[in-house]
Amino acid sequence: MIELQGLTKIYGDKTVVDDISLRVDSGEFGVLIGPSGCGKSTTLRMINRLIPATHGRILLGDDDVTQLPVEQLRRRIGYAIQSIGLFPHWSVAENIAVVPGLLKWPKSRIDERVDELMGLFHLDVGELRDKYPHQLSGGQAQRVGVARALAADPEVLLMDEPFGAVDPLTREVLQDELLRVHQHTRKTIVFVTHDMDEALKLASRIALLNTGRLVQYDRPIELLTRPADDFVRSFIGKADLGLKLLSRRWVHQYQQHATLQGSPAASTQAGYTWEVDATGRPTCLHGGRLHAEDRQQHTEVTQEWSATPDMTMKEALSRMVWFRVMVLPVIDGEGRLIGEVTMHGVMGQQPCA
Amino acid sequence: MSEERAWHPRRAGPFVANRVLLVLLAAALMGVVLLPFAAMAPNRLMSGQGVNVAVALLPWQWLSLAGLAMVLALCTLARPFPSRLARWLTLIIAPLWLLLALYGLGDYAFRTLQDASPAARVSQGAAFWILVFCPVLMIIDAFQRLGSGLAVRGFYTAALVAMVGALFASGIFDGLSIMQEYANNRDTFAAEFLTHLRLVGLALGPALLVGLPLGLLARRSPSARGPLFGVLNFFQTIPSIALFALLVAPLSALGEALPWLKALGVGGIGAAPAIIALIMYSLLPIVRNTYAGFAGVPATTIEAARGMGMTARQILWRVEVPLALPVILSGLRIVTVQAIGLTVVAALIGAGGLGSFIFQGLGQYAIDLVMLGAVPTIALAVVADFLLQILVSLSKPAGTR
Repeated sequence: MIELQGLTKIYGDKTVVDDISLRVDSGEFGVLIGPSGCGKSTTLRMINRLIPATHGRILLGDDDVTQLPVEQLRRRIGYAIQSIGLFPHWSVAENIAVVPGLLKWPKSRIDERVDELMGLFHLDVGELRDKYPHQLSGGQAQRVGVARALAADPEVLLMDEPFGAVDPLTREVLQDELLRVHQHTRKTIVFVTHDMDEALKLASRIALLNTGRLVQYDRPIELLTRPADDFVRSFIGKADLGLKLLSRRWVHQYQQHATLQGSPAASTQAGYTWEVDATGRPTCLHGGRLHAEDRQQHTEVTQEWSATPDMTMKEALSRMVWFRVMVLPVIDGEGRLIGEVTMHGVMGQQPCA
Repeated sequence: MSEERAWHPRRAGPFVANRVLLVLLAAALMGVVLLPFAAMAPNRLMSGQGVNVAVALLPWQWLSLAGLAMVLALCTLARPFPSRLARWLTLIIAPLWLLLALYGLGDYAFRTLQDASPAARVSQGAAFWILVFCPVLMIIDAFQRLGSGLAVRGFYTAALVAMVGALFASGIFDGLSIMQEYANNRDTFAAEFLTHLRLVGLALGPALLVGLPLGLLARRSPSARGPLFGVLNFFQTIPSIALFALLVAPLSALGEALPWLKALGVGGIGAAPAIIALIMYSLLPIVRNTYAGFAGVPATTIEAARGMGMTARQILWRVEVPLALPVILSGLRIVTVQAIGLTVVAALIGAGGLGSFIFQGLGQYAIDLVMLGAVPTIALAVVADFLLQILVSLSKPAGTR
């Protein structure tokens, strides 16, 4: 748990961070967001005392961070930054092993931990362990950076725009991985970004900062549906508000019963039916297109044209639009049909609910 | 070879594959044709009569030189040799050329002096130097084009030096004037050579001891940086002879005032002013490169190190020093070569060293005595440069090499 109490940073006569109080509970994913110069990075750096606070307190668990010896404090907090900051003269393994080394773990335990973390981030141990940072791709280097931050199993992970420097595709993959790792480790994370989509995707709570002040600290859905003021509204952006909302909704919330071909209800229902094989996997859909005259009135179920319960509704909607079908099969881990989501369902339900 | 194309984007046309080699070869051939290979003089003070290469060398010797030159000429072309083979051929033929030129000169001196007066002298001419330097440049160029590793270059150079050393040891050069000067000064030569090394060492040690912390200070404290570089730059602008002269008066006064200092050898002339001047000249490159080395460590790397919980000392020794070391060592390389050269001038104020032969020779108008001071100085500088270059390469962290 991390709690900021009246945190303030003043440079000369300029107040960069102004009386910020907020709390990120254990296992939560807190995101600090705001325009450039809003003080989000400064706030983050005050937590591990890379920047000393002018006023206010920071609690890490039950400890006031200013009461701890600074190096010890930092070894308890994982830290990952945008330009990664990997040590260029050390191999991947040596980079990941930095904090365990500083904490004087025995070598065997460090080696084990390095392999474990590389596994967690899908980094091929055999291939990459002894590579140097300049031999890595941007995505690999960023994974090593996050793995390094997690190496000594810190209570808290601070991340300062860690995915700012990678291409959008890699970025998406890294975000998914971070979510997976977060679910797996239940670390408390404080994450700085200026990208609202990234914040909405990752955060369990978002703190929106402007000119050093905390404007709103809420769950993502509340930020979208109950913005505190015009600044919040304009920062979120009105143009794709609907899509942003759907990015915080999941397929399982919209899932409906699917009608199978040959079942008694087939003739009376919406006019489309699912064909499944013996194991319950959907093979194709009959009907379901907007215009009856559309020639291809049955649609093959594929990996691309299907949804899983944990997919965002934004993505599900995108797939419906792309394949021009009003309905999408929902399949479970074994590929069995467990329901459907429909365009009607998306339109019929309050997204704010 | 597509990978080599990537290495050398400005590749020569389809006919000439290696313009550098072509230029060197042309220069060597023109020099050999137009300039004297050796000089023959009735005694050590008279200037010699130039002797052409065809006269100085036996037919088999200059025919071999010509034959090797033809193979080198083929190596400059895109055909018939593939580029890699051409480079390796250059690496075999160029040293043969060099050794043949050395042997030819010694052999000529030996043959000529057999039936000449005892006072007669044979010394090397301009064409000889061209025949020595062109192969060396060809070798450097070939290695650069091959992109060979340090180990290969080091081994090759050691072998070449050993072969030249063996030629010297065989006594083939004993007839040459410069070797006669050496024979006349055998006792003092070793002493002056060691004095030269000692002066360089005594200057570099303290310069490093003072310069490295100053470089770090310049990095850490922007307010100290300006004045520091101002003072060091000022030292650098004083001409060396003037600096030596300027130090004479205060140091002799100091020596007179403090007898214990005088007992240590501190005085207006001798080693003390020379060493002090050399230290002053060495400081700027050392401080500047130390500063640049530390400044080149990415700020994000240092921030990451702090964020990980490294102490200031751990950051310095584990992160900053390893990353700055190659740049710092290149500074050392610069000052070492510079100090070896400047120490020559120190002979003027009685510090000794190889410079004393040069100034004696100049005083007596005995060019070969000048050579006895100059050639070892150059050799020393080249060897020091080469060794420190190896050290710089080795100091590059594995990840950035």
